[in-house]
Amino acid sequence: MQQTLNRAESKPKAQIWFVLLDFVFYLLLVAFLAGFALYIYSNRDLIIIDFPILLQGAGATIVISLLSMVLATIFGFIGAMGRLSRFTVFRLIAAVYVEVIRGTPILVQLFLWGFGISALLAQAGFNPHDIAFQMMTVVQSNSLVPSEFIFNAAFYGILGLSFNYGAYMTEVFRAGIESVPRGQTEAALSLGLDSAQGLRRIVLPQAIRITIPPFTNYFITLVQDSALLSTIGGVIELQQLTTALASPLSSEPNKQLFVYIFGALIFLAICYPLALLARYLEARMALAY
Amino acid sequence: MALIQQALPDFLDGTRNTIIYCVSSFSLALLFGLILALMDSSRFVWLKAPARIYIEVIRSTPMIAQIFLIYYGLSALLFDLDVNFPVLNLAQYDNAWVAGIAALTINYAAYEAEVFRAGFLSVERGQTEAALSLGLSSGQNFFRIVLPQAIPLMIPPFVNDLIYMLKDSAVVSVIAGTELTSKLDFWRVHNGSNPIPLFILAMALYLALSLPTSYLARWYEQKLRAAL
Repeated sequence: MQQTLNRAESKPKAQIWFVLLDFVFYLLLVAFLAGFALYIYSNRDLIIIDFPILLQGAGATIVISLLSMVLATIFGFIGAMGRLSRFTVFRLIAAVYVEVIRGTPILVQLFLWGFGISALLAQAGFNPHDIAFQMMTVVQSNSLVPSEFIFNAAFYGILGLSFNYGAYMTEVFRAGIESVPRGQTEAALSLGLDSAQGLRRIVLPQAIRITIPPFTNYFITLVQDSALLSTIGGVIELQQLTTALASPLSSEPNKQLFVYIFGALIFLAICYPLALLARYLEARMALAY
Repeated sequence: MALIQQALPDFLDGTRNTIIYCVSSFSLALLFGLILALMDSSRFVWLKAPARIYIEVIRSTPMIAQIFLIYYGLSALLFDLDVNFPVLNLAQYDNAWVAGIAALTINYAAYEAEVFRAGFLSVERGQTEAALSLGLSSGQNFFRIVLPQAIPLMIPPFVNDLIYMLKDSAVVSVIAGTELTSKLDFWRVHNGSNPIPLFILAMALYLALSLPTSYLARWYEQKLRAAL
């Protein structure tokens, strides 16, 4: 009893110190931000050269991510249809797809697409660059197609990225569709809709609400994982350009460090607003119904 | 087949290194994650804000950028320091092992902090109130009441993150690590004509690590759901 009383008495005193530390923290934060601004300002000669290049890289990262997400959604939808199929063969194929892709690192899969499968298909005579070139020749704009090295790397990189995320999307869509009560489908069928109509008009509109928060979360990780494309060579995106700008500066360590920090800051500028959007959507979807 | 037989010892060596990376980084990440989560749940801004900023920044940047930053950026700085202070000789510590484990730990501490936070929130507020009204201190309340109830709920997400870390440890291969993907990369470069069997071998080894773990997690989760 004595002890508890003592503690109760001593508590306010300690709290005053802790609250005072809040003000110290704000002072330190201002000092840190000022120091960071000075750090960026003192490297302005690097920014003038690197920022336009890195901005192009950021644009490439966003385009690659959006393309991969669209493809991943298609893969995921096919996968979810497979997992919920009546036929054991489709269920088995979809299950193997999900387990193998989710059980192995995305980096290994990107290597497999970029160095293994691409070489195999090239031996078989498949060259995505030539096909794109010929298709663009028909509309008389084949100069828009980048060089073979860049185009093929980006082609297989985006394919690998979306094939990987397709497996995660499969599970997201499956969980979404399964979250709609079975009674909804039964009601739709008993009202005379066929099973495709029931899926499209009744189940999917309800399932999509539930899939939106994990969907945005996976998009954020996809943007981050697109940085891994820098390892397969030829994909000129943000991380690749950051490394390319930083590595020649090895004789000036401070500048090299700054370029790496700057590249990471641009990733932060892309991903943090997306994270805020994801949180907002999550809160809104939780309110629905 | 002969290629697989040649590569297998080296790949198994890489698998062992992958496990070492994961076990050491994950235990460190749990420790730092707990500290971050406690800081984040504090009432005081000077504890809460740094933890929040750390979590948001780390979760919004790719791990490959962090690993490059630590390995190349920071080691360059350490070399710079060594020129001025030769006694310290810091740069020797920034090798692939240290940088890899540091990057994995720094990255996953932010994610584990969120798991801890969600776990603490899942224990009802009434439990804390009851403990405090029975005369327990807030420290006793945390370690005796909140933590024992939160841990079973946190184990499935922890195992999930461990599997994610197993896969993310492949990123260490970009800084000349010694784990499985680095071995794969080495053998791939030296057998350019036919790399597919090597990929199958590496993926099989990764699956051998991740699939049992994920089934164990699923089994535990079902048992937990039945118990609740």
